Amino acid sequence: MLDWLPENVSIFGEGVDHLFSIIYYISIAIFLIVNVIYITFIIRYRRKRKGEKAHYYHGNNLLEFSWTALPFVLFLFLAFYSDGIWEDIKYSSKTPNADVVVEVMGQTYMWHFRYPGSDGLFGRRDQKFISSTNPFGIDPDDPNGKDDYTTINSMMIPVNKTVLVRLSSMDVIHSFFLPNMRVKQDAVPGQWVDVWFNSRKTGEYEIACAELCGSGHYLMRATLDVTSQEEYDTWIDEQYTNVLASLDTAPAETNE
Amino acid sequence: MEAAISSEQHGHAASHGHHESFIRHYIFSTDHKMIAKQFMVTAIIFLFIGGAFALFIRWQLAYPGQPIPVIGQFLPSTWVNDAGAVTAEWYTQLLTMHGSIMIFAVVIPLLVGTFGNFAIPLMIGADDMAFPFLNMVSFWLFPLAGMLMMAGFLVEGGSAAAGWTSYPPLSAVASTGQTLWIVALFFIGFSSILGAVNYITTVLNMRAPGMKLFDMPMTVWAVFITAIIIIIGTPVLASALSMLFMDNFLNTSFFLPENLIVPARDMTRTAGGGQPLLWQHLFWFYSHPAVYIMILPGMGVVSDVLSTFSRKPLYGYKAMVFAIVAIAFLGIIVWGHHMFQSGMNPLLGTTFMVSTMVIAVPSAIKTFNWLGTMWRGKMEFTAPMLNAVAFVSMFVIGGLSGIFMASTPVDVFIHDTYFIVGHIHYVLFGGSLFAIFAGLHYWFPKMSGRMYNERLAKWHFWITFVSFNGTFFPMHILGIGGMMRRIYDPTIYDFLKPFQPMNEFITINAMILGFAQLLLVINFGYSWFRGQKAKRNPWRANTLEWQAPSPPPHGNFDRPLQVYRGPYEYSSPEAVQDYLPQTTSPEELAEQHRHHQKRLEQQQEATVTQD
Ligand code: HEM
Ligand SMILES: [Cu+2]
Ligand SMILES: [Cu+2]
Repeated sequence: MLDWLPENVSIFGEGVDHLFSIIYYISIAIFLIVNVIYITFIIRYRRKRKGEKAHYYHGNNLLEFSWTALPFVLFLFLAFYSDGIWEDIKYSSKTPNADVVVEVMGQTYMWHFRYPGSDGLFGRRDQKFISSTNPFGIDPDDPNGKDDYTTINSMMIPVNKTVLVRLSSMDVIHSFFLPNMRVKQDAVPGQWVDVWFNSRKTGEYEIACAELCGSGHYLMRATLDVTSQEEYDTWIDEQYTNVLASLDTAPAETNE
Repeated sequence: MEAAISSEQHGHAASHGHHESFIRHYIFSTDHKMIAKQFMVTAIIFLFIGGAFALFIRWQLAYPGQPIPVIGQFLPSTWVNDAGAVTAEWYTQLLTMHGSIMIFAVVIPLLVGTFGNFAIPLMIGADDMAFPFLNMVSFWLFPLAGMLMMAGFLVEGGSAAAGWTSYPPLSAVASTGQTLWIVALFFIGFSSILGAVNYITTVLNMRAPGMKLFDMPMTVWAVFITAIIIIIGTPVLASALSMLFMDNFLNTSFFLPENLIVPARDMTRTAGGGQPLLWQHLFWFYSHPAVYIMILPGMGVVSDVLSTFSRKPLYGYKAMVFAIVAIAFLGIIVWGHHMFQSGMNPLLGTTFMVSTMVIAVPSAIKTFNWLGTMWRGKMEFTAPMLNAVAFVSMFVIGGLSGIFMASTPVDVFIHDTYFIVGHIHYVLFGGSLFAIFAGLHYWFPKMSGRMYNERLAKWHFWITFVSFNGTFFPMHILGIGGMMRRIYDPTIYDFLKPFQPMNEFITINAMILGFAQLLLVINFGYSWFRGQKAKRNPWRANTLEWQAPSPPPHGNFDRPLQVYRGPYEYSSPEAVQDYLPQTTSPEELAEQHRHHQKRLEQQQEATVTQD
């Protein structure tokens, strides 16, 4: 069944998939044990004659104790094993240093992506500036924000680099889902959450929304382009040139 | 809490001479058995409505954008497009209403309303509930609520469409359908609380003389604990609903952050300061225990049925009771495992994961004790037994798939995918609903005074069992493939395209599953009036309800009861037969032995004289 998993290209995805398979095999084992016993009983212990008496037995404390203790140990083991991986991928204290930072904003039914400009600095954002034309709420007075550029429904990142995503939503709850990266995180309005991943392979991947956000929920799809560092740099420069061009043609900003 | 405090059954029942009016008897009845039947009939009607919704959903997923066969062209244009295919708007309403109806108007009313009402007074030897009038009110709130919720389809903008979990801000944008949903849930919560108060009081105060708490059958224990969960959880849901209502209408912002812009709904809010996650905490604080509300009574019923038809004492009775208590307690503190990917602090994720894993332990205890009950039994595979056996096996699958979700890193991937939908249905359909089928068949003779048709019941079981697995097992694979839940058209994603044949397979099975349920209705409908007359104790069971006539009259028992022992003395060496009812006194037992001895001697004489 696990063959159906979408190809994993993320670094921590290996750990996740490994854990997935461990739980999978444990489950199959438990399922088989229980059902073999079960079916054996069903076949062996049928009533054949009327009035025939069954074994009169109320239970056994030792057995009771062992099938309490065994699952307890097993599940505690699973919990602690899982937690190691969980901490690695979610705890902010364990997040590796980011090579690329991208802000992602969910809006029914699209994804906005924001990159810092050539200065590498994001302009200040504030909830009160959020509007349908300024989904990130970038402060118009902050010079660092002037060269930030945004894309809709398409994200580009360099391969083998740690990407930090700052995630939020401007309207309802969405969920940022990258099947091939084993990433899923709700985007909650009024709140910013960081997630990170690192793709080992170039290619085009899909981004979906995993939290019901209205009747267009299924349409909330974006593409993730994982490219080489060179291609990524070229793309960035291009974007930057575009932004500068639009700044030049825009009416003067300081007109008080 | 030692012995029973009051015992009101004093044989006044059978001598009721006067005739109740039709309305008093069938509509505004205060008799717990009639109320149980009212819950049953209403909930089964909702089962078919909710089931039809599921089939529309499934049709769309298998054949996206294609007209619904036969009826598509007759549906209103707010539901289907010109061609007669489900629209995305209606789809979202359907899945919201499917979940809401199935949970709040089918499974909870059947398990708690029907079995709680029917079984508790009879199984503890009481003549009715402690508060019969409250009981009637508790029932009538339920169809009212169900109809309010359904009325959403008829109002402008359609029904609630934010999923049965109704996460704000999506649900906090006023629409008439959403408001109806909120009010309906409020009523249902009210109904639950009235019922729960009644069950708790009845169990504590009205047990037959001699019945100690640990002489109660598991069904009674399970509903009793469930009632306690209801009392703890429901007020929290009620407050959450009130807050949501106020966010909708009074411009409060409990769940709305600052500067919220929902262009799709024409809404901007500059004031705010609320927290969307607050709703999730409150909602799951009720709704996680609610999934135990939907499984514990089923576990109780299955324990009773397995013991009866294995002709064996329930293995580890006390452990089974403690396991239920443990599940209830742990169930209340693990709500956060629905919120691992919600933006909640990941540190909380860790703690919720550990507590969730621990909750698997009492579930394992229950499973092994059921196996122990069957060990060296003399099983009779009647319809209730088949359904109970299926329950255990399906519950194991549902429990195991739960482990995947409990493990936080794995949940990152499978959260909000079809894996969850597969899991839900193994627990709610394979679990709760099979337990309900087991219980309905088990008590059918007592409810109606007649026997159901065993052959038809077995056909119903086998078709249901096979098509159930054909429907829901592949959903785990869809989830592993990453198919998101609640999407209208999976085919627009490249990575989901390979799953289309599987989606068709599921839908065909779902159709069979849906239509197979007609067999149940035909069987029950026909047998209720035409079935063979049932004896008092057709299953040769020990518990008190089988000491009442079938069906029991108003007031239940036609002779005074005295309880001498626990409910599971099957195949006791003390007894002549393979069962020993709770009410058989030591004198009666001695008498039976004398009788038996005499018969043996007579038989021996007969053979001697023959020689
Ligand atoms: C013929 C039988 C059934 C079929 C084919 C069916 C099918 C479905 C499907 C396809 C969904 C997913 C909707 C989505 O996420 O897009 C769903 C959700 C759900 N179903 Fe069923 N279902 C059936 C019976 C039941 C029963 C008996 C219950 C009882 C408790 C139930 C409870 C739920 C719940 C709680 C959800 C979640 C709704 C949500 O996502 O908000 N279903 N069902
Ligand atoms: Cu979305
Ligand atoms: Cu969405």
